[in-house]
Amino acid sequence: MKKLLLSAFIAAGLAGRLCAASAEDSKIFTPFFDMTLSEAAFLPSEGNIFSGGNINTQVGLLSKITQKDQLFALYNFNYSGAGFAPQDSKQFTDRSMAHGFNLEYRRSVTDRIRVRPGVGFNRGYSRTGANEAWKNGLYNMNSAGGQLAADYIFDEGKNGYVTLQYLLRTVTFPNYTDLLREFQDPANRASVNGGLQDQTMGQVSLRPAWNKFFGGVTYTVQNYKNQKVVAASGVYGDTKQKDTDTMLDFGFHHRLWIFEMYPMVSYTMHESNQNFMKYKFLGDTAPEFAASYYNFKEMNLSVPVDLNITSKWAIGGAFSIQRRAYDKRYARNADNDFTTEKQVNTMTTLTGSIRKRINEVAMVRLFGSLIVANSNNKFEKYMPYNYTGNSFGLAYQLSY
Amino acid sequence: MKKLILILLALFLVKSPAFAAIDWESKGMQIAGEIIANPAGFFYDFQQDLEATTPLPPGKSFGIQTSLFPTTIPMTYTNASLKVRLHGEGRIAPGVPQLDLIGGYWDMLAAKMATKDSETVDSAKFGGYYAGAIMSTSVSPRVRTFWGYKRSVLKAKLDFKAGQEPEFLGTKVNSFDTGFKDDFFIAGIETPKGINKLWSIQLNYGLNTQTFSSKVSWYGKYFELGLNIFPEGVLVFHPVWNFHLNF
Repeated sequence: MKKLLLSAFIAAGLAGRLCAASAEDSKIFTPFFDMTLSEAAFLPSEGNIFSGGNINTQVGLLSKITQKDQLFALYNFNYSGAGFAPQDSKQFTDRSMAHGFNLEYRRSVTDRIRVRPGVGFNRGYSRTGANEAWKNGLYNMNSAGGQLAADYIFDEGKNGYVTLQYLLRTVTFPNYTDLLREFQDPANRASVNGGLQDQTMGQVSLRPAWNKFFGGVTYTVQNYKNQKVVAASGVYGDTKQKDTDTMLDFGFHHRLWIFEMYPMVSYTMHESNQNFMKYKFLGDTAPEFAASYYNFKEMNLSVPVDLNITSKWAIGGAFSIQRRAYDKRYARNADNDFTTEKQVNTMTTLTGSIRKRINEVAMVRLFGSLIVANSNNKFEKYMPYNYTGNSFGLAYQLSY
Repeated sequence: MKKLILILLALFLVKSPAFAAIDWESKGMQIAGEIIANPAGFFYDFQQDLEATTPLPPGKSFGIQTSLFPTTIPMTYTNASLKVRLHGEGRIAPGVPQLDLIGGYWDMLAAKMATKDSETVDSAKFGGYYAGAIMSTSVSPRVRTFWGYKRSVLKAKLDFKAGQEPEFLGTKVNSFDTGFKDDFFIAGIETPKGINKLWSIQLNYGLNTQTFSSKVSWYGKYFELGLNIFPEGVLVFHPVWNFHLNF
C-alpha cells in the first residue's frame, strides 16, 4: 500500500519534473538522463548490521515534432533496497523494484497554455528478507492508465507555472493472497486469490512553481474492486474498501551566499473505510474490533543544507522528521493490549555529509546518519517501533 | 579534507548508544549461506566486473581489456575482452550514433588447479562469456549517453571426491552444477573528468532474472578504476581495476 501511494505521489511530483524538461530550440531530439545511486550500511540498536541501497534511473527523449508539438518518452527504473523505514511501513529487509514507462504528447495551445495527455505503464516487484524470486513477490503490482495535464505559464523568466493534472490507473496485484483467510479457510481458494488488492486509482493535483519554489495539493482516491470492509461482527460486509489521501506540500531550492538549501514539508491526511480485527494470537476466539483503524495524519519535514566551501566541495547537514498520528488507532502495550492513548509514531534522522562535485553534471556524496524512531506502541513482535540506528554510505548522481 | 573526514568519523563512527555489537560470525554464516543458495549469482557478479560495457572512446576502432581485480586477483578469473567499432558517430549521416560490438571470455584458473591437485575436488569447471553491442551518442560536447545489450552466460560445476565431501551447516555438499544466463539492457552516461580521463555511471538490468547492478567507473588511457554495486548480491561493493588499450 505504501508503495502504491508512493508511486502515486511520485507521479504527481513527476508532473512538475517532466514539465521542466524542455526542448532545446536548435534540436529535434533532446535526451533526458538522471541516475542516482546510493549504498549504505545500517547498524540498528537491536539486530545485526545489514546493507541496502537505492537506485533511480530515468532515461527519456523529448522529440520536437513541430514548433508547437512535442513527444516525451520516459523510462524509469527504481530500486529501493533494505534500510531503516518509518514504523508501519515495511520490514528493514523488504526491497522493491519498479519499471515505469510514460509517453506524453505536449501541445502548446497558446504561448502560456500547454496541454499534456499521456499514458503510463508500471510493473512493480517486491521481495522480503526471505529472498523469494522477484516474480513471486506477494505485493508485485502492475498498473496502466492515462493522464491529462495542463500547464499555465505565468512567468517565463522565473519558470513560473501552474500544473493541473488528472491521473487514472488500473492497478492489479497478481500474486496477492490473504494469508489470514487462507489460514481460516484453506479450502476456499476463490476468496483467497480473488484479486483482493486490485483497485483503480484516481488522482488530481494542482501544483504551482515559481523561481525554484514549488508546492501543491494532491488528492488521491483508491477504489478497491474486491476487498470488502470488515464489520464489527468480524466478518466482511458488502461495502468495498475505499481509501483517500490529501497531501499538501511545499519546498524550495535556493542558494544564499555559500549556503544551498532545499527544504520540503508535506502534510498528508489518509482516510480509509477499512476496519481491523485484532487477533491476539493465532486462533483467538474473541478478537477485538477496531473501527477506522487506518486513518492518520502525517507530517514530513526535511531540511537539507549544503555549505559550499569551494566550487567542488561542500559539507552537508540534514534534519528530517516524520510524524504520523492515527485518528482512532490505539497504541498497544508490550502484551498486545490496546492502551488508552492514540498511536503516534515519529522518526527523526540527522545526517552529515561531504559532497564533491565531479563536474557540472556529476557529484558524489559520503554520508552518515543517526536515526531515532519513537512510538507509544510497545508491541514490537513483528515490526520495530522504538529503535535507534546509524547508517553510513555513499551516493552518486549524474544528471543531464 | 582530512579534517572534514575526521569530523564525520567523530560524529558517526564513535561508539554511541545507537550501536549494537556487530555479530561478525553470524554475518559470515549468512553470507556463506547466500553463496551456497545461489552460487551462480555469486560468481556472476565477478563476471560483471570483467565485462567491458562502456563504449570505445571517440576516434578509436577497437580495444582490448583484461580485468585485474577482483577477477584475476584473487578470484583467478583469467579473462580477455574485446571491443570493435562498427560505426563512428556521425559517419554515415549527422546524428547517427556510434555502434560498438563487445564480447569477452573468462576461465577460472583455480578450478583447473583444484581438479589437478586437490585431494577433495574431483572436477571443477568455472567459466563464462558475454557478447553484445553498445550504441553511444553525444548529447553535448562533454556528455555522451550510451545504450546497449549483452548476453551473459556462466557455467559453474564442482564435484567432490567420494568420502571427501565437506560439511556445511551440518549437511554434506557432494557437488553443485549450476549456471547463469540472461539478456541484459544497459543504459549509461559518460562525462570527462580531466584530459583523457572519463567518468561514467551505468545500469545493467537482466531481463529474465531481474539481476541488476550499477557500475561507476573512472578510466584513462590504460586503466579503469571502478566501483560496481550489486544491491542484491552477496558482496554489495566490488572495487574494480581493469587494464585496457584502445587503438
